[in-house]
Amino acid sequence: MIFAVLLPLVLALFIPVISKFKEKVHTGIFVVFIPLGIFLYFVSFVGNGFSPVHHTYNWIPSLNINFDFYLDGLSLLFVLLISGIGTLVVFYSIYYLHISEKLGHFYVYLLMFMSAMLGVVLSDNVFVLYTFWELTSISSFLLIGYWHHRERSRYGAQKSMLITIFGGLSMLGGLVLLSVITGTTSIRSMIDQVDVIADSGYLPLVLVFILLGAFTKSAQFPFHIWLPDAMEAPTPVSAYLHSATMVKAGIYLVARFSPIFVDYEWFFITVSLVGIVTLVWASYMAVRQTDLKGILAFSTISQLGMIMAMLGFGTEAAVFAAVFHILNHATFKGSLFMIAGIIDHETGTRDIRKLGGLLTFMPMSATLALFGTFSMAGVPLPFLNGFYSKELFFEATTGLSENANSFASFLSEAIPYLAVFGSIFTFVYSMYFFFGVFTGPKKLELLPKKPHEAPIGMLISPIVLILGVVIIGLFPNLVNGSLLTHAAHAIRNSAFEIKPIIFWHGFDSLAFQMSLVVVGVGIILFLTRKKWSNIYKAIPGKLSLNKLYDKIIGKTDDYSARITNSYMTGSLRLYMSIILAAIIFLTFTVMSTTGGFNNITFDDLEEVAIVDIAIVLIMVLAAISTVFINNKLALIIITGIVGFGISILFVIFRAPDLALTQLVVETISMALFLLAYYHLPELRKRNETIGTSFTNLFLAIGTGALITMVGIAAHSSDWFDTISDYFVETSYTLGGGNNIVNVILVDMRGLDTLFEIAVLGIAALAIYSLIKVRKDKEAE
Amino acid sequence: MEYIILLLAGVLFATAIYNLLQKQLLRIIIGTVLLSHGAHLVLLTMGKLKRGQPPILDENVTSYTDPLPQALILTSIVISFGITSLLLVLSYRTAKENNTDNMEEMRGESNE
Amino acid sequence: MSNLAVLPIIIPMLAGIIVAFTNKNVKITRFLSKLFSIISLLVAAYVTYEVFSNGSIILETGDWAAPYGIILVADQLSILLILTTNIIAATAAFYAPHSLNIKQETHYYYTFFFLLITGVSGAFLTGDLFNLFVFFEVLLMASYALIVLGGDKIQLRESVKYVLINLFSSMLFVTAVALLYGVVGTVNMAHIAERVAEVEQKGILTTIGVLLFFVFGTKAALFPLYYWLPRPYIVPNPVVSALFGALLTKVGIYSILRVFSLIFVYRMEITHEAFIWIAGLSMIFGVIGALSTNNIKLIIAYNIIPAIGFIIMGIGIFNQDALSGSIYYLIHDMIIKSALFLLVGVIAYVAGTSDLRRMKGLIHHYPVLGWLLFISAFVLAGIPPFSGFIGKLLLLRGALSADEIAITIIALLSSLLILYSVMKIFIRGFWGEKEENKTYTKKVSAGLIIPIVCLLTISVFLGIGAQFVYPAIDGIAEYLLDPQIYIDSVLKE
Repeated sequence: MIFAVLLPLVLALFIPVISKFKEKVHTGIFVVFIPLGIFLYFVSFVGNGFSPVHHTYNWIPSLNINFDFYLDGLSLLFVLLISGIGTLVVFYSIYYLHISEKLGHFYVYLLMFMSAMLGVVLSDNVFVLYTFWELTSISSFLLIGYWHHRERSRYGAQKSMLITIFGGLSMLGGLVLLSVITGTTSIRSMIDQVDVIADSGYLPLVLVFILLGAFTKSAQFPFHIWLPDAMEAPTPVSAYLHSATMVKAGIYLVARFSPIFVDYEWFFITVSLVGIVTLVWASYMAVRQTDLKGILAFSTISQLGMIMAMLGFGTEAAVFAAVFHILNHATFKGSLFMIAGIIDHETGTRDIRKLGGLLTFMPMSATLALFGTFSMAGVPLPFLNGFYSKELFFEATTGLSENANSFASFLSEAIPYLAVFGSIFTFVYSMYFFFGVFTGPKKLELLPKKPHEAPIGMLISPIVLILGVVIIGLFPNLVNGSLLTHAAHAIRNSAFEIKPIIFWHGFDSLAFQMSLVVVGVGIILFLTRKKWSNIYKAIPGKLSLNKLYDKIIGKTDDYSARITNSYMTGSLRLYMSIILAAIIFLTFTVMSTTGGFNNITFDDLEEVAIVDIAIVLIMVLAAISTVFINNKLALIIITGIVGFGISILFVIFRAPDLALTQLVVETISMALFLLAYYHLPELRKRNETIGTSFTNLFLAIGTGALITMVGIAAHSSDWFDTISDYFVETSYTLGGGNNIVNVILVDMRGLDTLFEIAVLGIAALAIYSLIKVRKDKEAE
Repeated sequence: MEYIILLLAGVLFATAIYNLLQKQLLRIIIGTVLLSHGAHLVLLTMGKLKRGQPPILDENVTSYTDPLPQALILTSIVISFGITSLLLVLSYRTAKENNTDNMEEMRGESNE
Repeated sequence: MSNLAVLPIIIPMLAGIIVAFTNKNVKITRFLSKLFSIISLLVAAYVTYEVFSNGSIILETGDWAAPYGIILVADQLSILLILTTNIIAATAAFYAPHSLNIKQETHYYYTFFFLLITGVSGAFLTGDLFNLFVFFEVLLMASYALIVLGGDKIQLRESVKYVLINLFSSMLFVTAVALLYGVVGTVNMAHIAERVAEVEQKGILTTIGVLLFFVFGTKAALFPLYYWLPRPYIVPNPVVSALFGALLTKVGIYSILRVFSLIFVYRMEITHEAFIWIAGLSMIFGVIGALSTNNIKLIIAYNIIPAIGFIIMGIGIFNQDALSGSIYYLIHDMIIKSALFLLVGVIAYVAGTSDLRRMKGLIHHYPVLGWLLFISAFVLAGIPPFSGFIGKLLLLRGALSADEIAITIIALLSSLLILYSVMKIFIRGFWGEKEENKTYTKKVSAGLIIPIVCLLTISVFLGIGAQFVYPAIDGIAEYLLDPQIYIDSVLKE
């Protein structure tokens, strides 16, 4: 099975080679055999006696990340859609994309997507699933941006990437949490531990994490806004990724994980509510659209909402209706996208306001569209598969059980009404799509091209899909036992009886009555649509989510710039102040909360000598006066006094080597300072505001006090002897020298000394090159 | 005595910081010099002061001042000297190139 | 055998000295620097092999027993970082001649470069806290020299700030070592650890630990100590930026990892808990910074900060998963950051600007650069199957098993924004219509591309081939959780 999944990805590497021949042969002709082969491979599994297949291939076993491919009913339904629709889409694209386009890129992305999508629906390992999941987002991003010279394409690509990867990361959080709770990375093992997950107390968080992933990917309200903009992709891509397959990955995810959540009432509430709101909102929004693909995009969102809602219901009937509709939606929506593409291709526009009366020019396309749109609208005719699943949906909405949670009960009550309400708009936009394009007055003068029927090659793919619509409509039970039953069982994680699908339930069937209401009100609304146009324009008006998104993105750049500029001013003083304030505050806090000052004693101190005090006082005065002096020569000399004071202290405290070194270094430093003295400008008075002075003073005294106090506390500790006795003992015996400090420097800590010299060396070289640069510059 | 030296170290740190927070390069460099003096004094004090003779072996002496901090200070003095020298040359060149020795005038354009 | 541990320090140092003498002849210098960087890499690989098959190598320099002399400790953690450093150094050595101008090269670039590597290797290897200070100074001094290389106005301006901030933190380092010596009477890290454990890290020791954290945190560029970082990192040549971005901050975070897994591990409710907060704030402000600018070099420079946040997050959580996540992320970030700095360097060179607003449709002219950037963005953001993902996964696992929900969410969100900040360059700079009236004459030589490709290949391997790497890293995390192993191996008690 790994071959089937990775084959497109591997072959994608050869596309650049193949596309070298593209002058003569369309690359798509080679590519089409890949999904076809995969489709034929998976078709062999279909049948009433299907039982799940499991293959494992090691990848990173130490992290429990392995290619665990598990083909059950649910996965089978999806792999067939992915490879089947994939074949048709690639075939269609041969005619849709002109040979002069960058076909190599297109097919590489498309094959990458195919692998990724197959991987998503086959992986039992959550992290492999996540890997493929992100790969679908990435390939979708690239496909939307395929015509990246268009501003809208770039915008749409970025939007889809941000939203879907946001969801993906959230899902990752949920998956990691699940794997931490259950100690496994296998979805099936997680499902076996439902109780463990429920008892962990993390169920709500897991739910939120996972659902955010699913809702963003499946374009559920309010994350649906990326999908309409994704329509900038070439139409085959819209038909494939953004209608039939990728956007159903979220549906798949919810279905796959629903055994974990199904007994948790918030799962019902969230998923049903979001699903039904999406259904209503998006079908309403679809009516407002003028772009054919825009209508189809919102229609897709709305249908996804419907499927999502059914998964939220979680009942046997609802789950079955959901899988049935997944299949049906793929057939009619796929074909409608292709027809929209054909219309665009043959007339040069997708703007429904410019289209009309195309029936006579494009009879074949019109017929196909008739079947597609009517099936989508759920018109009760026995050869339209859309009607069957829509009616099963209505049936499911009425069969929701009583619930302990009062909000859940209210929701159960409201759902049937909302379902009907949303479906009315579905009916309206379906009619609008068909009649608006193919009937009514011809507006040839508005069209960029003279319309004519598409070449037969382009029509083959939609014909196949519409045949699917009709065949499933006429013989729904053909796919029932062999495919759908297995899928529904997989979602419920248990076998249950599924009734044969029938067309006629009788007039007293509630679901049928709902359908009649939809059709009846729908026809009225459609016929009187001119009168409603103002309402469509007014709602949602300025409150649209798109504007919110644009605002957030715009503000992100804006605010981050503002925040960052507010402290990244390039001012050394500000940087230092913040660092110092943090040090003073945190160190004092830690010191006082951990009792660091408790052990301060005044024992074990050397006596104070008058001479020492005098030197210290002079140094204190000198140090403080550095702050007030405004003469650079005086400043340098005063600093020198501090330095020479240090040497004297070294003498007093029995450190002759230090005293000598300090003297030498101090002298050279003075010389250097005096050299620099000529080149640096005279000191100016410190003209600072009182606030600045005060802050500086506070930070200065704070740091000084900190060092003194921590120093005193450190000095007071008497837990350990130093290791220095060893140096005294071995200085002569092992080190061969009487001057212990020297022996330490050249022997015990020779490495320090070696690299201290290295530091000096680098400094010398750096100074040399600094001066040389200047010389070179002056020479120029 | 140790605590007095630590107080002195504190004063050196405080004046160093105050100078570091100034605008003029020369003052800032003086700040760094004071800073290293302060650090060295802390290091010296941590080895306890005057607790014996200078750490040069002598048959008549039984107790010596802690030699390790002295060795460390020596290393640190030399390193500080290296940095200070570099800093001086660097400051001089910077002041020349940018036509100012005021750090606040050397902020650069914001975030570009 | 144990002398092996000193080779990663000595070889670059010798190389640095030798190329200083051949400075006049650029061709020989270039050749020698490539040669030495390859030798150094091979030696590092060999030492790594030795350490992983025969255990840590402890070298008592001058044959002075621990804790009295300076100890070099080549354990699995330090040697792995040295190997990574040498990989980056080798790619930098090959990239440099194509990126630097002759003047920069003859102003001892190669010497400073090798001494930088010396300092970094030394800092990874040393087992002595004061010696760590000395190596810090070596690498800092080399970095001061590198940053002003060429010496234009902006470079000088930023380098003064850079030197001053680092000088301050160096002096704080000396003070902290002094205070620590005052309490525990030793500077050997294993010995300090042993003694700190004996008194259960009394208050004063925690305080000194906090001071040390500030020292390392300033070098590592953690919140709120990172202000100095972004601009000095973008003013020098890209190859210098890459070395800085990959190595300097990482030495700081390595020191935190070492010190706070070995020495200060007895008051975690204060120190390590604070790390988690700091991690969150570093991520937030880091990505905000990365989003705030249109300068592509600055975008990458700001991205250092959240990455350091990710690493310290694992140190703060301090369980096996989190620590191995930190180490994985550390290695990953060293490699991808150097790749990205090199890459944006080339992009800015061909576009003639580093201002994103003035770039458009570059992919029509430089497709290879575009796709390298595209992949790098996903590597950086931790999208599977690349290297960042493994580290992030481990960190998340560690965080969630420690019930750290807030930091998990921050980490996830900042991953998204990291991706966005880099992808912006791709979408705005590379996509777009071909500008017909603008001609791109600058050729991108293979010498600039191959090092980037090598680094990216390693990144991809670290992700896809995690099976070959992760068990070793997991072992290191386990080793870090028990400081006694380190103490015993050094003090041999």
